[in-house]
Amino acid sequence: MKKRIFTFLSIFIIATFLLAGCASQPTQAPAAPAVPVATAQPTAVQPVDITFMAWGAPEELAVWQKLADDFHAINPNITVKMDVSDWDSYWTKLDTLFAGGTPPDVFAMDAPMYKDWQSKGVLLNLQPYIDKTPGFLDGLYPEPLKGYKMEDGYYGLPRDFQTIVMFYNKDMFDKAGVPYPKQGYTWNDLREMAKKLTIVNSEGKVDQYGFSCDLWDMEICWSEAIWSNGGDVISSDYIKTMVGEPKAREAWQMFHDMIFVDKSMPDTVAAQELGSDLFQAGKVALWPMGHWAIPGYSTVNFQWDVAPMPTGAAAQVTSVNSAGFVAAKDSKHPDAAWEFIKYALSEKGQTRLTEMGLAIPMQKSVAESPAFLNQKPGGRTINQQLFLDSVVFSHMKPIFKGYSLWADAVGNTVAPIWSGEAELNATLDKAVQAADAVLAEQK
Amino acid sequence: MDTSGIKPLGMEKFWLGVLLAPTIIGLIFGAFGSVLATLLISFTNWDFLRPPVWTGLANYIALFKDEKLLTPLVNTLKFTALYVPGVVAISLAVAILLNRKIRGVGMFRTAYYLPVVTSAVAAALVWQMIYGRDAGLLNFIIEKLGFAPVCWFCEKNALISVVIVNIWGAIGEGMIIFLAGLQSIPRDYYEAATVDGADAGQLFRRITLPLITPSIFFMTLITTINSFQAYEYIYMLTRRGQGDSSVPVVVFSIYRNAFNFHRMGQASAMAIELAVIVAALMLLYFWLERRYVVYE
Repeated sequence: MKKRIFTFLSIFIIATFLLAGCASQPTQAPAAPAVPVATAQPTAVQPVDITFMAWGAPEELAVWQKLADDFHAINPNITVKMDVSDWDSYWTKLDTLFAGGTPPDVFAMDAPMYKDWQSKGVLLNLQPYIDKTPGFLDGLYPEPLKGYKMEDGYYGLPRDFQTIVMFYNKDMFDKAGVPYPKQGYTWNDLREMAKKLTIVNSEGKVDQYGFSCDLWDMEICWSEAIWSNGGDVISSDYIKTMVGEPKAREAWQMFHDMIFVDKSMPDTVAAQELGSDLFQAGKVALWPMGHWAIPGYSTVNFQWDVAPMPTGAAAQVTSVNSAGFVAAKDSKHPDAAWEFIKYALSEKGQTRLTEMGLAIPMQKSVAESPAFLNQKPGGRTINQQLFLDSVVFSHMKPIFKGYSLWADAVGNTVAPIWSGEAELNATLDKAVQAADAVLAEQK
Repeated sequence: MDTSGIKPLGMEKFWLGVLLAPTIIGLIFGAFGSVLATLLISFTNWDFLRPPVWTGLANYIALFKDEKLLTPLVNTLKFTALYVPGVVAISLAVAILLNRKIRGVGMFRTAYYLPVVTSAVAAALVWQMIYGRDAGLLNFIIEKLGFAPVCWFCEKNALISVVIVNIWGAIGEGMIIFLAGLQSIPRDYYEAATVDGADAGQLFRRITLPLITPSIFFMTLITTINSFQAYEYIYMLTRRGQGDSSVPVVVFSIYRNAFNFHRMGQASAMAIELAVIVAALMLLYFWLERRYVVYE
């Protein structure tokens, strides 16, 4: 009997440990220390070490390291320690470091998540530093900058940004004898093109789809379709979800009909079977995407080009999203942190970062210089100018408190529509309800 | 059931203490510390960034009121209800089939054990090809037989599909445990019963089954704990945009709430919920053990 109780206890303990251990960090957040006001102490007295954290691939780390070395050459007293991890690990690591009271001094931020972090009061207000550097923001693209501006200043600054453009497989167009999409074409034109570019084989299965895009997150195609139709995804005060309004519904209906009526676009089940990037796999002719995909697309064995996003009933719209720099409020070296951000956004720093070839630099003069425009990944000439031109008709991907939960509520609820398991209109009603519930919680 | 082994004497007692110390210290500070911390955090709202705020039972009430937290629990319970009997029954059957002197038995045993040592991520990718709706192997066969293709990962089938993959991945381990149990049954029992005229069914019901009950008990325990932690295959096979899954289970939801949504308190409450359910099941198992498990 004794043995049995012991066995039971040990199994219980092991079970509890295994189950609980995966989710908890026993460390408690420290009480917030007195806020160090950004005093004008000279930075160049004592050598300091600061840490910088970002997400990215190993090749990106190499560029970050060069940036840190360049910076150190100019500011010999400041050494920047680089810490680059993949997207998932990055956020987990960041959370853990904050929970442990040892946040990195400067770290990368995804624009939609910025407001969540900013509203928690853990980011350093950069405004006092910006005020001391007249003209600092002048050379930067204003559109991506807007999202970072809070009532009392900037708590972060974008370092580079993305506009979504339409990638198209030239070989498929040539084969089907369809003219390439040109500035001024509409979503209706796109739909017609997609029909002509879809190839069904003798067994009735689709060998090639005319069009495809990610319908979970708004960035790639559904926000553009809604905005260009005159609708919106969320109200400007971020208290009401707009994806169920009539103008938005028309846009959803279009994707729905392309999948289930025209069959020129794969449903999500078919898309998943074809791999994570249908364009790269040579399975789709038209595919909206951001600049980050270019290094991957530079090695494919077909000819492709880019066109601007199509025009809708109301306007031509693309979405713009950015990655930025933020500094921790509890950083022990806020001045050094600012010096690093300042350098990374300078012409020199931006030119260095442009080597990654993944995004459009924030510094206009760099974006319009050969460093960006003449990039030839894999020896391919790419219409880089188009990514810049798209800024003119861009709409910022919304930045608001509760973004992750809101995006999950919408994406998760509408997902069964795109696998053919749920009816469009009733499901959209449910999505609005779930998303509005999230927004109500955020107040 | 006397289990007293060899009593440590003299210096042995000292060494016993020394050698056990690291584990015990680890257990006290690691395990008990984590459990206690999880319990405390579960009564708070904590986003990692700001100090936790005491919220009493709010996180526990939400477990039953919030559909997004209830769905993972329902999925986990359904998963367990299918997975545990599936693994125990099938691995017992496989062990019995392979517990004989047939040509190539080692090869079969290896084949069944292989999934255990295969990377779940790689195996899941292969399963994705098998389960594919449009170009999958399974539907290819189904269509050749003249039936309509099945959407294996649509909402109504997804759970079953992942259970099958998880069972496939767990048979190897169960087979080893049952083989060990089967081989400890003395051959004379079967010989004596055969002489008395028992048929194969009787041999199984009267000798094999009772004598294998300790292994069945052990396997059920381990499999139940595993089923509450199952995550890799389920996530790999049902993931969709931005880290979302179409079959969220509790462990997945704990991770997502903690690290994607910064809701540590809620995640901790879910962890405690799981622990309580597992503990309740263990109690039930031990009660059943007293009634049905035969120890020689």
